[in-house]
Amino acid sequence: MADAPRHNLPAEPNRFVGRERDIGDLCAMFDETRAVTLCGVGGIGKTRLALRVAHRLLDDFADGVWAVELAKISRPELVVQEIAEVFGLESERGRDLTDAVVTRLAGSSCLVLLDNCEHLVEATAHAAAALLAGCPGVRVLATSREALRIPGELIWHVPPLDLPGSDPSAAESVQLFLNRARAAGTQLGEESLPDVARLCRALDGLPLALELAAARTRMLSPGQIADRIDDRFALLTSGDRTAPARQRTLAAAVEWSHDLLSEAEKTLLRRLSVLAGGFDLDLVERVCAEPPLSESRMVTLLGALVDKSLVICDEDRGRFRLLDTIRQFAAERLADSDEERMVRDLHLRVLCKLQERAFDAEFLTPGVTWRERLAAHTGSRDRLADQRAALEWALRSGNITMGLRLCMRSSGLLSLGGSAAEVVGWVERLLRQDLSLVVPEQIGLAKGYLAYGLLSRDDLDSGLAAAREGLAGMAGDPFVLATAHTVAGGALLRMGRGDEATVHIDSALAVARENGDRFNEAGALIEASIYSLQRGRQREAQRGAEDAYAVANAHGHPWILAMAASHLGLAAETRGDLESAAEHYDAAISWLRELGNRGDLAQNLARSGRVCAQLGDLPAARERLAEALAMARECGLRQAMNRCLVSLATLARAEGDLESAVLASSAVATLRESMGQRTGSVKVDELLSAARAKLGEGRTTSLWSRGRSRPPYEVATQVLEGRRPEPATGPLQVGPVRGSLLTAREQEIAGMLTRGLSNKAIAEELVISPATVARHIANIMDKLGYTSRAQIAVWAADHGVPSA
Amino acid sequence: MDQRIVMIDPGTGQTLTEEQHDERLATAAALLRRRGVRAGDTVLICLPVGSDLLVAADAVMAAGAAVSPLAPDGDGLWERVVTSSARLMISDDPRALAAAQDSRIRVVMSAAELGA
Repeated sequence: MADAPRHNLPAEPNRFVGRERDIGDLCAMFDETRAVTLCGVGGIGKTRLALRVAHRLLDDFADGVWAVELAKISRPELVVQEIAEVFGLESERGRDLTDAVVTRLAGSSCLVLLDNCEHLVEATAHAAAALLAGCPGVRVLATSREALRIPGELIWHVPPLDLPGSDPSAAESVQLFLNRARAAGTQLGEESLPDVARLCRALDGLPLALELAAARTRMLSPGQIADRIDDRFALLTSGDRTAPARQRTLAAAVEWSHDLLSEAEKTLLRRLSVLAGGFDLDLVERVCAEPPLSESRMVTLLGALVDKSLVICDEDRGRFRLLDTIRQFAAERLADSDEERMVRDLHLRVLCKLQERAFDAEFLTPGVTWRERLAAHTGSRDRLADQRAALEWALRSGNITMGLRLCMRSSGLLSLGGSAAEVVGWVERLLRQDLSLVVPEQIGLAKGYLAYGLLSRDDLDSGLAAAREGLAGMAGDPFVLATAHTVAGGALLRMGRGDEATVHIDSALAVARENGDRFNEAGALIEASIYSLQRGRQREAQRGAEDAYAVANAHGHPWILAMAASHLGLAAETRGDLESAAEHYDAAISWLRELGNRGDLAQNLARSGRVCAQLGDLPAARERLAEALAMARECGLRQAMNRCLVSLATLARAEGDLESAVLASSAVATLRESMGQRTGSVKVDELLSAARAKLGEGRTTSLWSRGRSRPPYEVATQVLEGRRPEPATGPLQVGPVRGSLLTAREQEIAGMLTRGLSNKAIAEELVISPATVARHIANIMDKLGYTSRAQIAVWAADHGVPSA
Repeated sequence: MDQRIVMIDPGTGQTLTEEQHDERLATAAALLRRRGVRAGDTVLICLPVGSDLLVAADAVMAAGAAVSPLAPDGDGLWERVVTSSARLMISDDPRALAAAQDSRIRVVMSAAELGA
């Protein structure tokens, strides 16, 4: 994993000015401090400073630095999910996601940047505290208007930029202003420096205020801007009058900049506040162009807002976003206007329409290539932040029908792409609202869809119940009808209730075929073939698997293709045709790579590794299992880890390494217990008796208990690397301390401390002042990393530093 | 080390021995360095007269910085804090802490945190 990316930090939109000393200080703090929170008012530059620090610390963390952007989410429970997503973890039923994140990062050395925490302080603090407690190599850098209040947190107040002094051009605030004015096309000469200095002081060196002012220098001179800002300060209408001066200054600058906008620009700015994440022109045209604005003016208006630094864009002007401070200001303006409901309703409708269109292209439209299906899937996922915001509004405004519709067309919320089945939470929340205005068929459909989400979390009982409730009431959507039948069938099959399952599978097939829905047809055919395998009818299973693959191929969705290929592999493996099985698994693997679904990918890699081991191709088996293992660990899925360990046991046996096989099998047993699954099987009993015969009772028992007492990932790595189990080694030796760092004088004083002398006594002996002695001692402690005089004395004695 | 008393706290009446003073001073100075205090910096100290103040001031000097003392009940406290060039302040005083919000002080430490 040497070439895996080591950070996800966004590119900076323009030059960073000043704060050199602060960056250096902050970087140095992470030696000792595990959590630093950059605090300060909005617009003071917390995020930019944090990104700078994070960039500079890149080489200090072996596992990199990772930014988690919290401004775009509004629900506390999404904080951990957002962190999990950044680290590529996936959710699993019955598993606390915080626990999964902690497990994943327990052995890592990384910096986690939690950006914009203020609206979710409690949830963020909870997550950060869990990370710090469970992951010794993790450091947290947060930005927030208020402190997180977690143990060990260092609160660092971000100050404004330096104000101009005797040499104005040297001041950070002046430099920032001039830099941004230049970027806006204004070259300010020496003669304007006094006015620039006056403006910087009026704006108290606040970076965002300076940026907004500099964006106006084409129209107004710095002196004119300074005059107007002073006037504005007297007229301030928004914000809290008792708020700190800095906050009021910023509010004045934002209001001033806003008031200079045309009515149309103001309208667009406040409407933009409903967009959740970054956005493109297309979305702006759809959501923000209602009268008095029009679609044709959007490019010009958006460009005008970019020129005024109220909207930020990437270099090629393809993606845009609002700074959090500006978004809040714009949202307040929207709330004051009479169009909030209209714009948010429209946002919800537009999202619904876009996601429905993507859903059609991904699943329903016949004759679409897999590339197009994949593009639709990716597009849908890219709208996730906006979809969440729209669902939030559906809940708030009581538009349950539209909310449910949006849920049902959310491939991005499903497990297909490998993400958490978040849709379950949304549907459940919506169904808890007042449903008197929702038509019963719609509720039925929602439950059918809920069933799918539940099953993909391995929640068989609830999935079956939801599918049945849904089937009893739904109408009008054959795709969901077929899905609900397939889910019910699949759940029943996995519960060992095949007879009941076939009824549903047959219904799913009938509905899907009648409506030309090949996605569900393929899914139902796979379930039917699984039932055949369960009953030992291998030829029937093979025919069913082939049919499923042909139908999946005609549909073209990478996920259903992968599922069909994987099932073909299983059928082949069951009848002992290992070569074919390996081929099919590899086909499934390549589809899943296209899709980026790592949970299913890890499962198929593990299966492929198992087959390779049985075929005697041990290098190939190792390679696949290594990847499966890395992936299972990355996504934090215990089920995937479990499958890896099962395959590793097979591999070890194929190599005649009974010891490793026992180790892996015992780790499987532990893992299954932790997931609440049944343990013990004929295979394991057989393995253990073979091991007892060859290795003896004592050795076998000791291996078994060793496998149970260590983390599954560690056991898996050991088995994979083919290392024979060894006795535990002793604690590491402590490295030598760098005494040579001390100056001669410092060595001398360190030595005198072993005699227990006071600062005053040392001072008298050396004929220096006690204050100087104290300073030398501070230097020694700094160099040796100690926190008390006694430690120095012990060190000096240990290292034979002369005491006189 | 002898048990020479170097300070009697006017509030609590507790005594501070030379040994305690040297030890607390060393620990506090090391901590200040870790919080970014460097030679040539200014550190605001707004503590009531007492052993905490003595140790804090000596620690700031030992860390190589200059002490800028402020009486907690003094006039113009807000102004002094807000216009100060200090990057770090040692205080438990609510008014000083509030003023720090509008200053250029990066880090605020309480006497307890400093171990002084």
